[in-house]
Amino acid sequence: MARLTIDGQEIEVPDGTRLFDACTQVRGEPLPHFCYHPDLSIAGVCRLCQVEIEGLPKLTIACNTTVKDGMVVRTRSPRVQEAAQRILEMHLINHPVDCPICDQAGECALQDQYMNYGLYSAEVEKADKVHKSKAKVIGPHVILDQERCVLCSRCVRFCAEITGTGELGIFQRGDRAEIDVAPGGELANNYSLNTVDICPVGALTSRDFRFQKRVWLLRSTPSICPGCATGCNVRLDHEAGRVYRLKPRRNDEVNGPWMCDLGRYIYKCVHDEKRLASPLVRQEGELRPATWREAAAHLGGLLAPGRLSLALACAHQTLEELVLFRRLAGLLAGSDRVAGTVAGVDLRQGDALLLDADRAPNRRALEWLGLPEARPDELAARLGAGGPALVYGQDPAAADAALAEALGASGGLVYLGTHLNATARLAAVVLPLSTWAEKDGLFVNRQGRIQPFQRAVARPQDAREDWRVLADLLAAARAGEQPSGLAALRRQVAAELGLPGEIDLNDLPAAGLVPDLAAGTPAGGES
Amino acid sequence: MSRTACRILSARFGRKDGHLLRVYESEGGYRALRRALAEMSPDQVREAVKDSGLRGRGGAGFPTGVKWGFVPQGGGPVYFFVNADESEPGTFKDRYLLDYDPHLMIEGAVISSYAVRSGLCFVYIRGEFGWLVDRVQRAVDEAYAAGYLGPNILGSGYALEMIVHKGAGAYICGEETGLINSVEGTKGQPSIKPPFPAVSGFLGKPTIVNNVETVASVPYIINEGAAAYRAFGTEKSAGTKLWSVSGPVQRPGVYEIPLGLPFREFFHEDLGGMRDGEELKAVIVGGSSVPVLTAAEAMAVNLDYESLAQAGTMLGSGGMIIIPGSADMVELIQVLMHFYWDESCGQCTPCREGTGWLHRIVKRLRKGQGVPEDLALLEKVTQGMAGLTICPLADAAVMPMQSFLQKFRPEFEALIHETAAPRPRSRWSRGERES
Repeated sequence: MARLTIDGQEIEVPDGTRLFDACTQVRGEPLPHFCYHPDLSIAGVCRLCQVEIEGLPKLTIACNTTVKDGMVVRTRSPRVQEAAQRILEMHLINHPVDCPICDQAGECALQDQYMNYGLYSAEVEKADKVHKSKAKVIGPHVILDQERCVLCSRCVRFCAEITGTGELGIFQRGDRAEIDVAPGGELANNYSLNTVDICPVGALTSRDFRFQKRVWLLRSTPSICPGCATGCNVRLDHEAGRVYRLKPRRNDEVNGPWMCDLGRYIYKCVHDEKRLASPLVRQEGELRPATWREAAAHLGGLLAPGRLSLALACAHQTLEELVLFRRLAGLLAGSDRVAGTVAGVDLRQGDALLLDADRAPNRRALEWLGLPEARPDELAARLGAGGPALVYGQDPAAADAALAEALGASGGLVYLGTHLNATARLAAVVLPLSTWAEKDGLFVNRQGRIQPFQRAVARPQDAREDWRVLADLLAAARAGEQPSGLAALRRQVAAELGLPGEIDLNDLPAAGLVPDLAAGTPAGGES
Repeated sequence: MSRTACRILSARFGRKDGHLLRVYESEGGYRALRRALAEMSPDQVREAVKDSGLRGRGGAGFPTGVKWGFVPQGGGPVYFFVNADESEPGTFKDRYLLDYDPHLMIEGAVISSYAVRSGLCFVYIRGEFGWLVDRVQRAVDEAYAAGYLGPNILGSGYALEMIVHKGAGAYICGEETGLINSVEGTKGQPSIKPPFPAVSGFLGKPTIVNNVETVASVPYIINEGAAAYRAFGTEKSAGTKLWSVSGPVQRPGVYEIPLGLPFREFFHEDLGGMRDGEELKAVIVGGSSVPVLTAAEAMAVNLDYESLAQAGTMLGSGGMIIIPGSADMVELIQVLMHFYWDESCGQCTPCREGTGWLHRIVKRLRKGQGVPEDLALLEKVTQGMAGLTICPLADAAVMPMQSFLQKFRPEFEALIHETAAPRPRSRWSRGERES
């Protein structure tokens, strides 16, 4: 441990701690900075985090300094503040100061630092500024404004050190220096939008989010990306019922501060034109909008105990929903006619960084609950036995032509889902449910980590929350009393999984929780 | 010490055949290498150089033996670089030395490499010195053929390869970490320190970078001993120094003089005073990056590290620019500010933006578009640069700017029309900002 004094306050930190981080601890806020990023190498180029260290004649940057026992550091002395102001001014002299049309405005480090450490009057007129290229498309997702760039090199280091793809570089020198891709190259790796996140200014912006919404109007809700089995921690930024973007939320146990580009676009499904806004009932061969009461009337004949030829779920539903589905399926179909998901349906190419080959967020929950995978031909064979079928989520009809045919030929298909997809089009009754952005739930990622996510936006019109629909179906099938709320349901889930008593699924730690399941798979108690 | 005896570095200057191995050998060349390899351990060589008081001649003046001592004793690879990226305006002494006496550099480099236990030595030559690359390469080839380089030098078992590397034309590659990055094939810009190259340099291994003149001083120290070297110069500024002198003096050129010589004596006796009826107005003593001296100040200094520091300037590279009375100081500073703006690598914000800003303000002044606030602004901009960057390039721009402004202020003021209306200022100034 090293004992040092920062701004008159004594502090003890482990040996090897970066002075920058020790200063953050004492100050309660970081030193002004652009180039420092805890997950990237030290560049030391923005020169903003200068501090005064007793015994050293010159100011020193804290990001490239390791604490030493007995160090006496000042971060708020007039000399430090004067230097910060001068250096900040250097960052701004050639900046276009086009905040009114810049997407970064409101979450811009340059704006923040100016308000905290700058507040001088401008000395450079527009005509005297160095001009560079603007609105340069450098990849499928990212657009570059070289004039706004402060050349902190975070994006260059990200592509060199995190993805190892090295698309970005700094070309030219002096005040002609600019970030760019090599001629003929493009920033097309699957993590390119992270460069937008770590860009402290409006130089790199997202082509998807650009000009869509001023950031100060957005509200953020913590969530989990449903795009693959990794379960990156994210936040949904939304306003007036609309999700505008996903941003990664740091969880060092899962995704660090990053997420992949595929995940960024997943919110598009929430506002898709194929979203189901009301129940549909097949009448005279055609699916027609209906009320929940009308739909319930049609369900009566189909969902009688023991009648189903097949009850099929998927790995995209929450842990709580799958527990209820298992109860319902056991009651209506009998255990040999229940399947967790269609084998192979979510498998694609993954990578070594974050993206998993398994594009479903909750396969581990299926495993925990003993809901098995089944091949399309196996599923088609079970459907051939006759009787109605229940499909919960995803689009199995799109996965396999023979399975689609069998679903169409079943004695009445009930589809619970969010979109009017191929499976829904084959159904006798369709019940509209919620996407992950519209409900609370738990996913179990590939590590076996239970991670909660929260409802961010409202459901469309007559769509309902999944667990309530499942609970109502259970009640209709006279399965006894169902949980009164999600909290009660989670207590039941914990009990059914045989989780240790001290684990409260309604109050999980910030990093999620990997339960110690000695048996490998939790005991599955039937309801 | 008689002035004529002062030929440690310049013995073959101006001679047509000085660069040839047979000439160098016939005048005692490679005797020091023979002696170092046969009679001295690497540590003894290092101690001798330390005792000689030799300081880095590239500009920073750091004691050479002390620098060598920073190399960790671990047995892993160590690299040695000779810095011949001589680009400081006003400096041409290394060019001269390599042109007339490349074997002196090679012998010094082999001994220095031996002292730090390096098996690979790069000679990094400024790309604009195209002909010099060929000349040095031929000398290196001769040295290989004669057994002064290669796998078993003079039968001692010591092995050293020497690679002549041509730079691509960047001033900043004369900064030692910029130079190392350039050889590694990345963008020529300085690395953040720590770690220092002596600990982690080329390919992450201990690396020593020494100036041409520094290594060329080593053979004399080995031959004659540290005490003989110390007999030249002053207590803290030992030995001799090359000065490259330009400007309207009677005899411009490259001179070797013992450190501590009064400028007045050097100016009158060696340089022969001014020519063309000019008066001495100012002197840049150590390359364009050091603060300028007025004629009066120059006449009072001795040419050694301490006296020059006391006079508020630096010995630097020894690139002496004599400025005559007819010179326009603002024009001169515009040339220099253009140079630093052009050569800033652009890595550190204060230097990248500050060098361009200074250049634009000076240009504006010379166009007659200056306003009274501009002089204070120049001062303020330099305060946002000095001492705040990774390498000293920002300081190198600041020192001439500040000293020109301070010592020749009337010439700047004459360009400003007092009646000119101030440029409109942002209404968003601090006092008027709505809270």
